[in-house]
Amino acid sequence: MTDGKIKNRIRRLRFDNDEMTQEELANRAGCTRQTIIALEQGKYVPSIELAFRIAKAFGVTLEEVFQYEETT
Amino acid sequence: MAPLQKRAWYGLAIGVVFTIALIVVFIAKGGISTFNEDQGFRIIIDVLWIGVLLTAFISTGLTLRKPGQVDERDRLIVGRAQVIQLWAVILALVAWMIALTESYWDEGQIPVIFPYLILISTLIVSTLAQSLGILIGYWRGVSR
Repeated sequence: MTDGKIKNRIRRLRFDNDEMTQEELANRAGCTRQTIIALEQGKYVPSIELAFRIAKAFGVTLEEVFQYEETT
Repeated sequence: MAPLQKRAWYGLAIGVVFTIALIVVFIAKGGISTFNEDQGFRIIIDVLWIGVLLTAFISTGLTLRKPGQVDERDRLIVGRAQVIQLWAVILALVAWMIALTESYWDEGQIPVIFPYLILISTLIVSTLAQSLGILIGYWRGVSR
């Protein structure tokens, strides 16, 4: 079994969406700003439900926000 | 700072301050002998620790129930903190058991004050461990 890491493009997508604030994204996705900060820093991997809500907040697909990278 | 993190700092501060206050009041009022003889003193100590612990537990409950205050990550951190809390309580009880067994084995019984002290110390350990567990969770991050 290989290990993997889930990366995200939340910070990039926020700036691409008229520099959406972390607070605004948190409100849209239904989480706290601290969770958005942790996600951007790669310190937290969201549940599949929150991942979908974040993707929906940006109006993109899940894969456009989160990527799975296998490490050997 | 997350609301739950703020609450954990309060819990830690309340726990530490109360533990110190309890020890100071206990020693200043004459310790175990006064506690055994003076019912008024026992009631003062009872009111003190029950009041503080209720405040800590109610404030946690209110923080967790407020909509928008906590999310899945906060709940994950609380869940991990509860494991730390459980181990801390078990360790505290084991420490009490070993200490009392070794100290009072020959007498075959323990003074009546000890069940009281065991309860107070366990509840304090529980509150402190929960707060510390939450703060460690925010500091180190949490993963599934």
